[in-house]
Amino acid sequence: MDLRNFIRQLGMLAGAGAMSMTIGNTPLRAFGKSLYKIKEVNGKVLVLIQMSGGNDGLNTVIPYEDSLYYNARPNIAISKSEAINLNSLTGLHPSMQPFKEFYDEGKLAIVQNVGYPSNNRSHFRSTDIWLSASDSDEYLNDGWIGRYLGNTVANDSNYNLDHPMAISLGSTQDTLLSCTCQSGSMGISFEDPNQFFQLINGSSADTDPPPNTVAGHQLKFIKDIAARSIRFAEIIKEKADTINNQVNYPNTDLADQLSIIAQLVAGGLETPVYLASIGGFDTHSNQLGRHANLLNNVAQSLGAFQRDLEALGVADRVVTMTFSEFGRTVEQNGSGGTDHGAAAPLFVLGSSVNGGIWGDNPDLSDLDGSGDNKFKFDFRQIYSTMLRDHLGAGPDDMENILFKNFETLPLVSVKHISSGGPRAFELNQNYPNPFNPSTRITYTLRLPQVISLKIFDVNGRLVKTLFNGYKEAGTFHEFFGGLKYPSGVYYCQLISGSYRKTIKMSLLK
Amino acid sequence: MGNIRSLEKVTAWDRSTAIHLLSRTLFGFTNEDVNFALSMSIDDYVDNYLLSDLHEPQSPGFWVNDTDSYNNSVRSRELTYWWYNLMLTQGHSFREKMVLFWHNHFVSELSVVKLPQRMYHQNRLFRQNAFGNFKELTKQITVDPAMLIYLDNTKNRKEDPNENYARELMELFTLGIGNYTENDIVEAARALTGWQVEGLQSYFNPDRFDDSQKTFMNETGNFNHEDIIEIIFKKPEVASYICRKLYKEFVYFEPDENVVDQLASIFRDNNYELKPVLSTLLKSTLLQSEEIIGAKIKSPIEFIISLTKQLKLTSPNYEYMRDIANDIGQTLFSPPNVAGWEGDKTWINTNTLPARHIFSDRIINGDRSPLKILEYARNYESSEDAEKFIDEIADIFFVYKLSDGRKEYLMELLLDGAAVYDWSTYNENAEARLISFFKSLCRLSEYQLT
Repeated sequence: MDLRNFIRQLGMLAGAGAMSMTIGNTPLRAFGKSLYKIKEVNGKVLVLIQMSGGNDGLNTVIPYEDSLYYNARPNIAISKSEAINLNSLTGLHPSMQPFKEFYDEGKLAIVQNVGYPSNNRSHFRSTDIWLSASDSDEYLNDGWIGRYLGNTVANDSNYNLDHPMAISLGSTQDTLLSCTCQSGSMGISFEDPNQFFQLINGSSADTDPPPNTVAGHQLKFIKDIAARSIRFAEIIKEKADTINNQVNYPNTDLADQLSIIAQLVAGGLETPVYLASIGGFDTHSNQLGRHANLLNNVAQSLGAFQRDLEALGVADRVVTMTFSEFGRTVEQNGSGGTDHGAAAPLFVLGSSVNGGIWGDNPDLSDLDGSGDNKFKFDFRQIYSTMLRDHLGAGPDDMENILFKNFETLPLVSVKHISSGGPRAFELNQNYPNPFNPSTRITYTLRLPQVISLKIFDVNGRLVKTLFNGYKEAGTFHEFFGGLKYPSGVYYCQLISGSYRKTIKMSLLK
Repeated sequence: MGNIRSLEKVTAWDRSTAIHLLSRTLFGFTNEDVNFALSMSIDDYVDNYLLSDLHEPQSPGFWVNDTDSYNNSVRSRELTYWWYNLMLTQGHSFREKMVLFWHNHFVSELSVVKLPQRMYHQNRLFRQNAFGNFKELTKQITVDPAMLIYLDNTKNRKEDPNENYARELMELFTLGIGNYTENDIVEAARALTGWQVEGLQSYFNPDRFDDSQKTFMNETGNFNHEDIIEIIFKKPEVASYICRKLYKEFVYFEPDENVVDQLASIFRDNNYELKPVLSTLLKSTLLQSEEIIGAKIKSPIEFIISLTKQLKLTSPNYEYMRDIANDIGQTLFSPPNVAGWEGDKTWINTNTLPARHIFSDRIINGDRSPLKILEYARNYESSEDAEKFIDEIADIFFVYKLSDGRKEYLMELLLDGAAVYDWSTYNENAEARLISFFKSLCRLSEYQLT
């Protein structure tokens, strides 16, 4: 192996790499270029499905042994014989057959009664609450995903900044992806990779700095978008072009969005978060047929998506979760519909998901002051679970993202994954350094995982393996003694899955 | 900049003041329009032109009174083209911008309302009341057939109240969230019962009306929809809510609450007549302050129509305009939801900005327009003097003033290596250079601001 290749493998191409070692945690973004990409891509991916309008949870996950349900909804309840049987108490809406298969395969988790205290029944306010992960009486200007990306991924020297950190499929960019810590959106949005590329082709970014005025700030915003479009269009097209979808998707907008996500994930785009959306759930009137169509769309589209991910061999990395700003009233209204309500179930789908029904059917004999379902799980518990157990955010990160601690649910299996992603482990600079004859190497695992810790010399030869195997989460030390080795530079590398982190050490005799 | 946030009347009525006022009140303008405005006083221009009561325009066709759903998609296109045409041809009237403002305030969506005819009649209502009385408009929109259908108030009846309209009436149309209780919604919904739609007409059906006492905002009585609106309009928050929205639309996206208060008090003092508020605002030093000039991101419709007008295209390609408007996020008669288009930064993202560039490219190179660039350029007095030409064009195309660096960049494109004194629109390759010049000009980020 030649030196250059070796250094590439270490992720330390001269220049950016060297700098990242000397200045520690400073985001590489500051240097305007990213590290040479060496890692294979196996990072975790979270796909969020926004079901706008307020999905009627009671007609989605059916409590078919509860007479209170049938009393409240004489015309629009789903009967037990129609519902898809999940267990003796609970069924699924009949148009969601693909979800039944995932349920049986243990890939679908249904979390019951998700909401938040002091439920707000305005679409807009409640959507803001869900996207920003705020308390009901708290107003935040950015989104939980934006804060995750801005506070953790953006500061991770292992993240490849040639890839957008988040992608929203659809024409509007969301609060969800913005972070005030980075003054703006952490993601990009488009509808179709090829079209996006064509749109960008022929643009050029400009570099005149805008003045520090109100209008200057607006101009800077537009210039940033222009620069970002140019930067990402090529790689997105390239990744999408690499992959053909392996299954047929239904002919719906949501399915289109998901088929593109599958291509990008399988094509090797390292983007950790995607947002897809479907509207129309505000079923105030004549909801039976409309709601059936909507749920059919969701189940068929997500069904195709999951099967596609499985066929493409990337299903282990992807978890999909649905959300909607609120559920609907327990009682039907006079128009054959339901009005804005409160807590409702949501779905978490994926090969690494611990399937099943989490929580009980709604207790219709114990409703809130407005006669709506009480929440049993705070929606931020689900977010917390996704961030920590799926995306590998550390406990310290959570303070910047959700601001307080929310108990996680065991929705995602963390045990058997080979790597929790680049955020799941940390390798500190050795101490002392330079050293003679021995030095201490400290590393932290945020999840239990299989790792190896190895020392290489400057020619890329393996000098010593300090540890190789499974370890629980925690902070550990290993010592490296240099007695029998010559003075010079050595590299210590911590490998987890296909992620690696490296430090440079000097033995000075 | 002591009184930048003041509603005092401007003292200077000059070229840059006029350009800024026109950019906020019209859908684009030409050099001739600026000169026309400057030929009179600002009072004269605002009160007798921008805010003048024009006749109602002709309808898009006889079909607007048909109750059938024949040719819905053709009709909805005709309706959009008809409105584009009004935006382009209503001279110095502020009316169409206000109609769009109301369309984005009292939202209805064609896909729910079904008949383009109903959207036409609603649009007509906005035009008739564009700068009339807001309370009156609220009463009328409450029983407008499109609105009754859109927010389910046709299904709201005594036995089975439907709260959808009652909620949005307060949350989005008049008071804003936090200024009413959930119980107010329940009671208002009862007072709003009884309305139905037959074809293009709404009518009151007493059998479906909840003919009994309601207690709404601490008042009790057998209220109907007009009573509810009268009670709502007793609250000072109504004026603040609307004036804040006007500020955000026509001044700057982040409102100055102190100014909002001043406008709101004018609004209340004039019993919700819009003209006194708009007249004060349009003539104020506030609207003319350096701070906000060029600080508004053009909406897709502003972007599309103003380019068309700047290029003096008299028979534009409406179909293409509509397709692009759709791509960049503003399909008329189809706002995204009952809160309407959010505006400002949400207009621009990595998808819509490149699409805006494609639009201007294709209009300028004649691919999707009848533009003759040489003839167009020669319309300008300065067309044979490269430096003056760039200045004159920049004046009309950019409210946000271009830096010298940007002008130099444009100059390079125009000259394409030739010397300044060699420039002429009669040069062999002048057409290609002009096309590349105008394309690049519209691709500058500054062009997205107004």
